[in-house]
Amino acid sequence: MSAPGPEARQARRHVKVQYYALLREQAGRSEEALVTSARTPRELYEELKGRYPFSLAPEMLRVAVNAEFGDWSQPLADGDTVVFIPPVAGG
Amino acid sequence: MAFRFSQAPIDPASLRATLGDPACGGYAAFEGWVRNHNEGRRVTRLEYEAFEPLAIKEGERIIAEAVARFGVEHAACVHRLGSLAIGDLAVWVGVSARHRHEAFLACRYIIDEVKHRVPIWKKEYYENGDSGWVNCERCATAPRHSEDAAGEHDHGHEHAHAHVHLVPDYSRQMALREVGPTGQARLRASRVLVVGCGGLGVPVMSYLAGAGVGRLGLIDADRLEPSNLHRQTIYALSDAGKPKAELAAARMRALNPDVDVRPYVLRLNADNVAGLIEQYDLVVDCTDNFSTKFLLNDACVRLRKPLVIASVYQYEGQLQVVRPDRDGPCLRCIWPEATRDGLVGNCSEAGVLGPVPGLFGSLQALEALKILLDLPGQLGETLLVLDLMTLSLTRVRVRRASNCPDHASARPLAADVPAQALEIEFDTLDEAAEAGFEIIDIREPREVEESPTPGGRTRHVPMAQLLHGSPAFAPSGRCLLLCASGRRSLAAAQELRARGFENVYSLRGGLAALTRRSLS
Repeated sequence: MSAPGPEARQARRHVKVQYYALLREQAGRSEEALVTSARTPRELYEELKGRYPFSLAPEMLRVAVNAEFGDWSQPLADGDTVVFIPPVAGG
Repeated sequence: MAFRFSQAPIDPASLRATLGDPACGGYAAFEGWVRNHNEGRRVTRLEYEAFEPLAIKEGERIIAEAVARFGVEHAACVHRLGSLAIGDLAVWVGVSARHRHEAFLACRYIIDEVKHRVPIWKKEYYENGDSGWVNCERCATAPRHSEDAAGEHDHGHEHAHAHVHLVPDYSRQMALREVGPTGQARLRASRVLVVGCGGLGVPVMSYLAGAGVGRLGLIDADRLEPSNLHRQTIYALSDAGKPKAELAAARMRALNPDVDVRPYVLRLNADNVAGLIEQYDLVVDCTDNFSTKFLLNDACVRLRKPLVIASVYQYEGQLQVVRPDRDGPCLRCIWPEATRDGLVGNCSEAGVLGPVPGLFGSLQALEALKILLDLPGQLGETLLVLDLMTLSLTRVRVRRASNCPDHASARPLAADVPAQALEIEFDTLDEAAEAGFEIIDIREPREVEESPTPGGRTRHVPMAQLLHGSPAFAPSGRCLLLCASGRRSLAAAQELRARGFENVYSLRGGLAALTRRSLS
């Protein structure tokens, strides 16, 4: 896919976001519906970091978009479900 | 004599009188009666026989044990021999003690032990004219089934149930069309290695032992702690301090004596992992840390063994099945190199509700059985993320990563740099500085604010920034990382070592240990 053009920058997308483990704790919620101008999961995560005290860098997480592991720089589309999944290790 | 046999009917009233004592405030007695049915057959009468010299000795020993153990004043037991009718008194136990509590306990102990240990034969006469001997000898060598001694049996056939040779019965699972005798034979021929005997491992091993797998390996280096028990429910509080692998093995052997249970009280490392995995067909990862998870993953990929992985966190968890035997994706196809312990919580740090690992362990056992039995509906190339607080379930497809180091080429196993080689102890940070270390405090800003680093020559770079920030980490010389407990700094040091920085160390025990040492 080509990089989103300047017109995409202004576009507002409705996305559903789910949080797991440490992120759920830090966000204080399991999921929420958002309207965002973020174009990629990375931009979305940066935007959310301004709102919640997320301590994990994106490199330590996985993001899934619509039930597929995604890339941090893939374009987001209106209606996407974005899931941030931190590694967990408890047993 | 405190224990004796009687050919004549037992008279409880006169026996009770022998236990009277002005110092005693409590008397407890038990009577076992002859019942008119046993294991579905109508019984008309009974005959008891005993090898008296041996049986009396064992009976006396039991009474003496009860007196010593519970501190009761008097105890006695009489067992009938000869022919008995329905309703006759077969065995009598009486105990008198200062207080009722000990009297009850000692009475219960005596009847239970007599049933298990005293060699007595019983011949049952059935309604249809048949009869049969039930041999009670060798009871002491048989596995103890304490539930047999529990009060739900009405007593009379004192010696019937515990001593029939019991064999595992898989009929309930063999009734499934997908299992049947063929599936049962497959389970019997399979060998499963369970790594970790904790919250996940307990349900995994229990269901696999119950199902009748042929060999079950149990690895755990830890000893039982009381804080384990809310989620590790096969253990007993009184076993705290004992090695969990051995406790678990004893419990699994009791559950199913058919299974070849092999406990390993050890920590997995790069040297022993391959040799252990080679002896098994399937591995279940029930560990609580990423370094072991990666170690297992890498070894299973190399040896092409299926691996069922689960991890839990508070109220949620993740489940993944790795199938190197089918060239499927692995743990490293999901999680990057940077995934280290200390970044993510484990049960002791983050807390966990008991049924959460219970459920994930059950899912692991289920997936393991599906693989062994080649059942449909296996998890496949999917990461299952389940939040049990909200009961929401997410399935994410996992693809084999083209850049996954495990599939690309042979790589060193994750734990190649042992923690001991990375950890250094100092009494003060000044000492470390004098020894030529560049000191980096990797705690979060909030932590540093609350508890400033004790020493002036310290740089503060939070962990995430150190590992992933810019400018890139580039120490000039030897470098000592520190955090609150030494856990995160060890993880960060391991990560940096893995990236090729040879001179990175971690302060053992972190600031907490520094404070302790400076106070002592």
